[in-house]
Amino acid sequence: MDVLRLKKGHDIALAGQPEKRLVSAGQPALLKIRPTSFRGIRPKLMVQLGDHVKTGSPLFYSKASPDMFVTAPGSGRIVRIVLGERRVINEIVIDLDKTESFEEFETFNEQSVAALAPERIKEQLLRSGLWPVIRQRPFSSVADPEKKPKAVFISAMPTAPFSPDMDYVLDQDASGFQTGLSILKRVTGAAVHLVAGKKSSSAVLAGAKDVVHHRFSGPHPAGNVGIHIHHIAPIRNRDDIVWYVSLQDVLRIGRLFLKGKLPVEKIVTVGGESVEKRHYIKIRQGMMLKDVLWGNHVEQNARLISGDVLTGLKSSPEDPLGFYHETVSVIPENSGRDFIGWLRPGLHKYSVTNLFLSRLVNNRGAHLDTRLNGSPRVIIPFGNIESVLPMNILPTFLIKMILARDIDEMEKLGIYECDPEDFALCAFADASKMEIAEIIREGLEYVEKNG
Amino acid sequence: MSSLRKLFDRIEPRFSEGGKWERWAPLYEMVDTIFYVPGTVTSVAPHVRDAVDMKRSMFTVIIALLPALIFGIYNTGYQVSPDAGFVQNMLTGGVAIVPLILVSYIVGGLWELLFAVVRRHEINEGFLVTGLLLPMTLPPDMPLWMVAMGISFGVVIGKEVTGGTGYNVFNPALVARAFIFFAYPGEMTGDHIWSLADELTAATPLAVVASAEGADAATLVSGAGYTARDMFLGLIPGSVGCTSTLAALLGAFVLIVSRIANWRIIAGGLAGLVASALLANLLAPASQNSMLSLSPFYHVIMGGFAFGLVFMATDPVSAAQTDTGRWIYGILIGVLCVMIRVLNQAFVEGIMLAILLGNAFAPMIDYFVLRRNIAKRQRAYAKQ
Repeated sequence: MDVLRLKKGHDIALAGQPEKRLVSAGQPALLKIRPTSFRGIRPKLMVQLGDHVKTGSPLFYSKASPDMFVTAPGSGRIVRIVLGERRVINEIVIDLDKTESFEEFETFNEQSVAALAPERIKEQLLRSGLWPVIRQRPFSSVADPEKKPKAVFISAMPTAPFSPDMDYVLDQDASGFQTGLSILKRVTGAAVHLVAGKKSSSAVLAGAKDVVHHRFSGPHPAGNVGIHIHHIAPIRNRDDIVWYVSLQDVLRIGRLFLKGKLPVEKIVTVGGESVEKRHYIKIRQGMMLKDVLWGNHVEQNARLISGDVLTGLKSSPEDPLGFYHETVSVIPENSGRDFIGWLRPGLHKYSVTNLFLSRLVNNRGAHLDTRLNGSPRVIIPFGNIESVLPMNILPTFLIKMILARDIDEMEKLGIYECDPEDFALCAFADASKMEIAEIIREGLEYVEKNG
Repeated sequence: MSSLRKLFDRIEPRFSEGGKWERWAPLYEMVDTIFYVPGTVTSVAPHVRDAVDMKRSMFTVIIALLPALIFGIYNTGYQVSPDAGFVQNMLTGGVAIVPLILVSYIVGGLWELLFAVVRRHEINEGFLVTGLLLPMTLPPDMPLWMVAMGISFGVVIGKEVTGGTGYNVFNPALVARAFIFFAYPGEMTGDHIWSLADELTAATPLAVVASAEGADAATLVSGAGYTARDMFLGLIPGSVGCTSTLAALLGAFVLIVSRIANWRIIAGGLAGLVASALLANLLAPASQNSMLSLSPFYHVIMGGFAFGLVFMATDPVSAAQTDTGRWIYGILIGVLCVMIRVLNQAFVEGIMLAILLGNAFAPMIDYFVLRRNIAKRQRAYAKQ
């Protein structure tokens, strides 16, 4: 198979890489669900304080499509519903039962799934609360069940720092994988693109049916779906819809249909310099970070991030792991000020540019923490951001058009193909310290609203 | 924590919002961040950031300029008395050139500060480069008040009126030089300006070739006592920092390796110059114009071409900002430089105008590259 080789990008060499050692998280006492994790769902509550829910019971539905439920990732009592400004639902807290009870869904086997009507599949996915694992580009919101996508993308090669190795995850338990792929194929009738890394040796991946196989190689963000979509089936306009699903969620879709219960477990990685045990851990959806990190020493002055360091959310131990996140990163927080730091040879300064001595030794011995390392400035196009974006997109001009709020030019320059996560490295490498990923997000939101 | 840090932290509230000297916040920010890299932590993803910042980037340009500057100081002394020895020549040159640099930095810096305070933005490090580039492109015995006028024009008209650093169309240092060139031509042209000693006159190699008709350029140059070696090293009369091709090469090495300058501009410039100079050579027998017979190699080592191409054409803001555009922009500058040198006898040195014209064309070049990028994406959309 042809390998699509991408050169631009950078694999950040961050200390504290997770080891390939799988542990199981203990049973948590509480689970938290945050409706804000689901971009595109305006929630309408279906439960009240004190209600008892089973695993898979609906918690709220989407106002835009009332069939779409978000369901409980565990069985127990609703002990808290936190409302924010203008009665926005911030958080639903479930106190877990000792023994778990499940909502029952219809079961199928691999053969009967293949003959299922797409409408029937859709119904089961929507009702079980598993539908939101399917997201769509442009705009990265939960997929609209009424619209047909032109393709489905599954990345089996996440390249973000500390993200789980999919070969390893599939080695643990690949049950449901083929069923999940077949279901996605059946429900959309469109091509399902499975993109693996060049080095992947997983037989499960290579043997997958009902999919179009692709291989990509290169530094981050070569593993992002946005990059795959750009090179395989670029998004032409706002109605040109592509779905994407994380590989672990494909497993969950398959297991839902095979077992008739909402699968709530997934494997996430824990990594970073400021945490003692860096490993793979099997957790339940909705667990708080302190439960994920239970029995694991976290240093003082560390930043907890739900997700990877490039795109994740700064979190507190009480916050749940984000619905789509598969990594917990713990990195040193530091606000120290280097004396004339910009003048030093820089053997210990991490950079993708050739402006520091550390580049000669490939940033070995260099060290990254949460500092911005400079002051915000205007755009000076040195080419840093272009060097880490493997897309046929001209980022500097796109950013200027976003700042100018020129929708026409944004569309021409390919805004619909963009996602903040693909531009995270641009923000990382920018000498002007601009929040480029946030600018892309603003641009997308502006176009979505006004386009 | 050092006492200096404590001092900064103590006076900081007076410069922040509501403080007594709130208006002067840019000044505090500048001094504070010169001594200490800001301790700001990231508030949104990405949570980690590269160590690169504007100070480091601009400082790298200064490093790249150092060989040309040091050689320029030496050469200024050397042109007065070649036999005085290294130390004496450095002293003579230093006495002449340090004031030029100081005036440029102080007067230009005041304008920068004024605009930063009025417009309420930070002081941009790009001025470190502009303030040094201007004196390096002037003759060594420039009156200081003219330097002050020049840098004022460059900073205010060349940069601030169009929105400040990052928004300028033209390279501010070149705008300053062009202003001096056209406003005070007596100090910028002729044979008497290149040496500190008033009684000495020396024609630059380019002027030597331009002055005679119907002769072979190489013969004229060697007849005036200039060897290719001297011209390559830079031991010839000319603007302070612009004579040495070797120093420009060293600078180009630093800038290209650090990727502060885009190699495409430099390569394009060389290609444009060589091609158009060869074309001129072909036409030479048919004309009385001696400049036509000047070989590409001489074009490179004579005058300020190497310096201008390496340090001024590559300014990322005023150059084209797309990779294809940078090639076109570079080639354009190379071609224009030869055209001005050869065809316009009023300007023996063409690089300044060539770069300014290149700057003027850069946005248009980018416009077309952008349209092509859009068309390419449209084709990819149609193909899938």
